[in-house]
Amino acid sequence: MADPFETLGVEARFDLDLRALEQRHRDLSKALHPDRYTGAPPAERRLSLGRAIDVNEAFRVLRDPIRRAEALVRRAGVAVGETAEPAAAPALLMEMMDAREELSDAARTRDLAGIARLGATMTTRQDAILARLAQAFDAAAAEPQKMSGALPILGELRYVRRFLDEVSALEEELSP
Amino acid sequence: MTLLEIFDPKAAARPVGIDLGTTNSLVARVRDDKPQVIADCNGARLLPSAVHYDARGAVIVGKPALLLAAEHPRETIVSVKRFMGRGADDAETKRLGTYDFAAPSTPEEAKSVRFKVHDKVVSPVEVSAEILKALRLLAEDELRTVGGVVITVPAYFDDAQRQATKDAGRLAGLDVLRLLNEPTAAALAYGLEKQQNGLFAVYDLGGGTFDVTILLLDNGVFQVKSTGGDSALGGDDMDRALATRFLKEMGAPESDHGLVRLALDAARQAKHGLTDFETVEIELPVQGGGTKKLTVTRAEFDALIAPIVERTGVACRRALRDAGLQAAELDGVILVGGSTRVPLVRAYVEKLFGKEPLGDIDPDEVVALGAAIQADILAGENAHAGEVLLLDVLPLSLGIETMGGVAEKILPRNTAIPAGARQVFTTYADDQTGFDLHIVQGERELAADCRSLARFVLKGIPRMPAGLARLEVTFRVDADGLLSVTAKETTTGVEQNVEVVPSYGLSDEEVETMLLSALDHGEEDFERRRLIEARVEAEQVLAATRKALAADADLLSAEEHARIAQAIADLESAVVGERTAPITARTEALDDATHAWAGKRMDRAVARAIEGKNLNDVERDVAEAAGVDAHVEAHASMTRPS
Repeated sequence: MADPFETLGVEARFDLDLRALEQRHRDLSKALHPDRYTGAPPAERRLSLGRAIDVNEAFRVLRDPIRRAEALVRRAGVAVGETAEPAAAPALLMEMMDAREELSDAARTRDLAGIARLGATMTTRQDAILARLAQAFDAAAAEPQKMSGALPILGELRYVRRFLDEVSALEEELSP
Repeated sequence: MTLLEIFDPKAAARPVGIDLGTTNSLVARVRDDKPQVIADCNGARLLPSAVHYDARGAVIVGKPALLLAAEHPRETIVSVKRFMGRGADDAETKRLGTYDFAAPSTPEEAKSVRFKVHDKVVSPVEVSAEILKALRLLAEDELRTVGGVVITVPAYFDDAQRQATKDAGRLAGLDVLRLLNEPTAAALAYGLEKQQNGLFAVYDLGGGTFDVTILLLDNGVFQVKSTGGDSALGGDDMDRALATRFLKEMGAPESDHGLVRLALDAARQAKHGLTDFETVEIELPVQGGGTKKLTVTRAEFDALIAPIVERTGVACRRALRDAGLQAAELDGVILVGGSTRVPLVRAYVEKLFGKEPLGDIDPDEVVALGAAIQADILAGENAHAGEVLLLDVLPLSLGIETMGGVAEKILPRNTAIPAGARQVFTTYADDQTGFDLHIVQGERELAADCRSLARFVLKGIPRMPAGLARLEVTFRVDADGLLSVTAKETTTGVEQNVEVVPSYGLSDEEVETMLLSALDHGEEDFERRRLIEARVEAEQVLAATRKALAADADLLSAEEHARIAQAIADLESAVVGERTAPITARTEALDDATHAWAGKRMDRAVARAIEGKNLNDVERDVAEAAGVDAHVEAHASMTRPS
């Protein structure tokens, strides 16, 4: 896959301004969307479809912190993906198991307030992880060999994200 | 003074927009920059979506068909939209109605519902094509020649339903420029009229479908954030709820199609009456003769339909959550669809979103008006063509069935379209030479609970140990929301491209055959038609290329320029001839000659779009844009100057 930062023409960094990113996506869509090429030669119509897809895909990657982080790591030539990354610390695993247990208890008793509370705690934690991840990428920008330092933080973010996904799924399922 | 319109035999083909509705269909066009619905010679603007097949083989569409429905319930197809893209065993076929379904004799036939009328069998695509043909004739009365057409579909329509709609358009002989989501069309009509920026929800409850769409209007860009709905929920369900009660009063069984039709009609009348009055009186025929008077109050009706209305709330809450928004953040709610006239629906929407909904454009017409504007824009004729852009999303997740029957999502719902994704598969057994791929659409965990779109086998993988073969499958969803899939085996360097068209769609050949059988002089007409189509296509490519040369000839080397000029001259000489083959071949040659140049032109367009705008300028623009408050994830911070 092409480098999403290049596709959108933005600086390759973790703490992107998402509003500005969204605006850039809109500007590029204005230039590339197939609707703009209905009266164009066929070669351009085909090309616009492909390039509009690339722009949408790049935007999808960059607005998601996990996939954005993966793209940065990949750019540095380091392998990503859960199988390629270091295994999670036992302490983190224990902690997540406890949190999950609390969540399934709350789900069993249909305790919506409890689920929301667990979600809020985890969201706070996610914010802190994102800040740490930004620092790690900043450090790696100055010294590329530090890139692998971002990997454990990324791993932690994945666990937290999965937990939050489950919270939303439960909220959707249990809300009246 | 009245201006007379003079018949002009060479009148240019005009773009139109079509709202192919469950209950009514409309066609609209843009005139003097204003969209307007085209009325028939009696001044009627809504064409009832009813098709009657008479015993002699004639097809009657619209109000006359509707009038025949009570007497010929099985030969008159109403609400055909509810069956578009549905299989023979779909739940929709088991609900209260007057249809006579044909039993499928092959698995191929089971992929689509088919109606039995007299001694023949018709598919929903063919029935819809009759409605589209009637609309085309209506438009031709006013415009002489109809050009490109935009047809609207419920945002929540899946791939099968969209494909069926597009096939119906082709079968009706229309040049379908685009399938457009109904809520997006409505937003376009509202947005251009009101010139307002901000976040809006479009609540669209029609005769048979419900959609909710959350979108951002930003200076001509209509960006859909999320969409949700139920493609089997609408005013028809309200009619059914009431009709079931009437049938009890009438002592009539649900198998008596004639009485069911009467009960459904009475229910619809009662529903309409209850929009303005607190009570209505209905006269029903009773089993064994005579009639019976019945009073229905709005409170009774509201109680009957409350479960239906509340189902829309589930989809609305999910759409808000998917957009990352609270109801309070919306700047407005737009009501679309005839069923939003029901007082309970209005009250419910107001409560749900906490604001009074906008309904000042006729909810029956707004979708067709938006479609007409989009058709005008796509044809390059509209004054807003350069500034308006609709950015839509995929309504339902696309996935493939993996081991254990789990649906693995390849493109999640609410992904901006056009969209693409690649997935690499490998073999799980030694010497495996084929893959089974099952593509599904929907949100459920298990593939069996999702909508099955296509199943196919990829063959010809070279024999090798398990896990070595690499099969790359590419999914593409175009701006119509239609899926295409290609696959290639990449390990051995032997690239095998397999174009996969979902199995329920009609192939070009099938459409040709159907069109052919409809023409009086068969082959002869058909050859003529192909020649004309090739010429039209050639003229379009010539015009587009000339326009591109006028703008960006400087991007070409002298050599490239000469090659294109030669290709143009070749095609120009072929196009005046009477043979189809050279026209097609030279159109392709011209296409080929412009290939590299197309990329350069596009790079230039991109450079212009972001010209002088590094992200800091963009931030300022965003901050200054009034009413625009895109959702920002909490961790976002400022970007450094690049």
